[in-house]
Amino acid sequence: MSSRHKQLGIGGAAVLSSAFLFFVGIPYGISAPSNIRNIVLSPLFWPQILAGLIGLVGLGILVSAARAGAGETVTAGQDQTPDQAQSEPGNWLRLAVMTVILVVYLAAVPWIGLVWASIPAFIAVAFLIQTRHPKTAVIAAILVPLVLYAFFAHVAGVAVPQGEFVRLP
Amino acid sequence: MSFFDNLLLGWELVSNIESFLALAVGVVVGVIAGAIPGMSATMAVALTLPFTFALSPITGILLLLGVYKGGIFGGSIPAILIKTPGTPASSATILDGYPLAEKGQAGKALGMALYASCTADLISNLALILFAGWLASFALNFGPPEFFTLILFSLTIIAGVSGQSLLRGALSALMGLLLATIGLDLVYGTNRFNFNDPNLMGGLNFIAVLIGLFAIPEILTKVWDPRGNDGSTRQLGGNWVSFAEYRACFKSIVRGSVIGVFLGSIPGIGAAPSAFLSYSEARRKSPNRENFGKGELEGVAAAEAGNNGVAGATLIPLLALGVPGDVITAIIIGAFMIHGLQPGPLMFVTNADIIYGLFMGLIISSVILLLVGSVAIRAFRFVADIPRGVLFPAVLVLCVFGVFAVNNNIFDIGVMFAMGGLGFLMLRFDLPAAPFLIAFILGPLLEDNFRQSMLMSGGSPDVLVRGPITWVFWTMTVITVVAVVRAGFRNSKQATQN
Repeated sequence: MSSRHKQLGIGGAAVLSSAFLFFVGIPYGISAPSNIRNIVLSPLFWPQILAGLIGLVGLGILVSAARAGAGETVTAGQDQTPDQAQSEPGNWLRLAVMTVILVVYLAAVPWIGLVWASIPAFIAVAFLIQTRHPKTAVIAAILVPLVLYAFFAHVAGVAVPQGEFVRLP
Repeated sequence: MSFFDNLLLGWELVSNIESFLALAVGVVVGVIAGAIPGMSATMAVALTLPFTFALSPITGILLLLGVYKGGIFGGSIPAILIKTPGTPASSATILDGYPLAEKGQAGKALGMALYASCTADLISNLALILFAGWLASFALNFGPPEFFTLILFSLTIIAGVSGQSLLRGALSALMGLLLATIGLDLVYGTNRFNFNDPNLMGGLNFIAVLIGLFAIPEILTKVWDPRGNDGSTRQLGGNWVSFAEYRACFKSIVRGSVIGVFLGSIPGIGAAPSAFLSYSEARRKSPNRENFGKGELEGVAAAEAGNNGVAGATLIPLLALGVPGDVITAIIIGAFMIHGLQPGPLMFVTNADIIYGLFMGLIISSVILLLVGSVAIRAFRFVADIPRGVLFPAVLVLCVFGVFAVNNNIFDIGVMFAMGGLGFLMLRFDLPAAPFLIAFILGPLLEDNFRQSMLMSGGSPDVLVRGPITWVFWTMTVITVVAVVRAGFRNSKQATQN
């Protein structure tokens, strides 16, 4: 993705976010007492100012992208870093799998407990990032959550979620 | 109480085994984290934060400061040995450090990096001790309008210099300010973007946001490119830096330290510009200027002095004004908050013992850094061999445990994952994360001081320009905007010409 495309994306998203905040987010997301005499003291005032500024900055980014456009159409793609240039479907697929792992991890914590949810999550992430040390990863996947449990539960006094099945001392 | 009485009080507070141990463990953790490519000092400080819950305030904060100091130096080790800066600020160290390593003089380069780092760190800490108290006593005269203009100035400069452009930095800061509005309204107690969800009524958990922004994107980057950040390590070589070589570079080290102190005390500038400025000044003044970039020891010394000279000075605005100077001090402010402390001028009155205890601890940390650094240089081979395929999943699990421990709330883990996704997108789209986090922290303070000012004046904006202090901050804000915009135009003009 070229710098100009990035700018267009950021600027467009900022303008859309600003419009969304003005027409939906602020009217439906913020409640203000009706008897406020001075507008600057209203709970709505600060978010409205921020939404306005986000829109303005977004417009500024779009304008600067447009200004840079003519010069960059010839050189589009030259400012890509190697990492960005190799933006393959495999990268997106791994990212999608990672998202699923994180969602399942989060959902599993209240059900099976933080320690037992962490072990498969650890192993899944290790294999996702193509670990060259699978045995070490599995051993670490068991040890790291247990050590962290020992510290947080017994030293820091945190009530670590234990889940509904196997409870740790 | 006199200055020396306060220092004695501070010494009493830290002259115990826990404090020394916290500093030593912190420096070791920091050096290791800084030395691992893909990790960073910021990430290390963020991940250490949850471990401070079980410690006393002073011990916990010293632990974090140790990680900070160690992390900044640790970043120079991979910069010299594998041409990969452990922290952005170590980029200047590569310029001469790696050529020295290629000549088989890596040990010499690392030794000079260590000595320059420790010297600059000491000078920076002394500057902090001398100036923070003075600035705090001046800031005691600040009212809400003065604090509003100060925070506005800080956010402007942070947004302006953190990223590639003022507009992107400003957008990042505005997003942070908007996120900070979630929760009950400060004055009326009405809902703001919390949709009656009790988890959102107190706003988003600061630690979940910061760990999400600074640790999770690193893991997602590793997922995106599992084979990135691998490099071949150079041997140390038999050479070690001599006292004569250190003395020859001493001028550049002191100059770099002073540059670091000056730039570090301005919120938002950070270590990387300081390292590059110190390096270019050393090159300009050195009789060996032709050798810079080809393996000049003075270049390593200057870069590291500029880099580490910032470390103590960034604490000046944090402790004296309550305004974090960079991302790491923004995280350290979290440790203060966890222990019910609010950094700022009043803390010099209410908790002077903790402030001066920290000062003494910082001085001790320079000595510990020297000892730990000498060992770390030789042990880097083992650190570099830690398999990334095991390290990053471990970091993920550590993040989850740490964030849960703050409020015993699973919702915070979800917030952290969401912020991680946002942080990764920001990374991909070149939006700097530093203004976002600092604005998120300063947002409530900015709004609170604005509304208090308006209450004081009955809604008249005149109160925001009520005296010389506010005028100074408004002028500095305008100068910053003009300077950053001019620099932006100049850069785009040069880019078009090229």
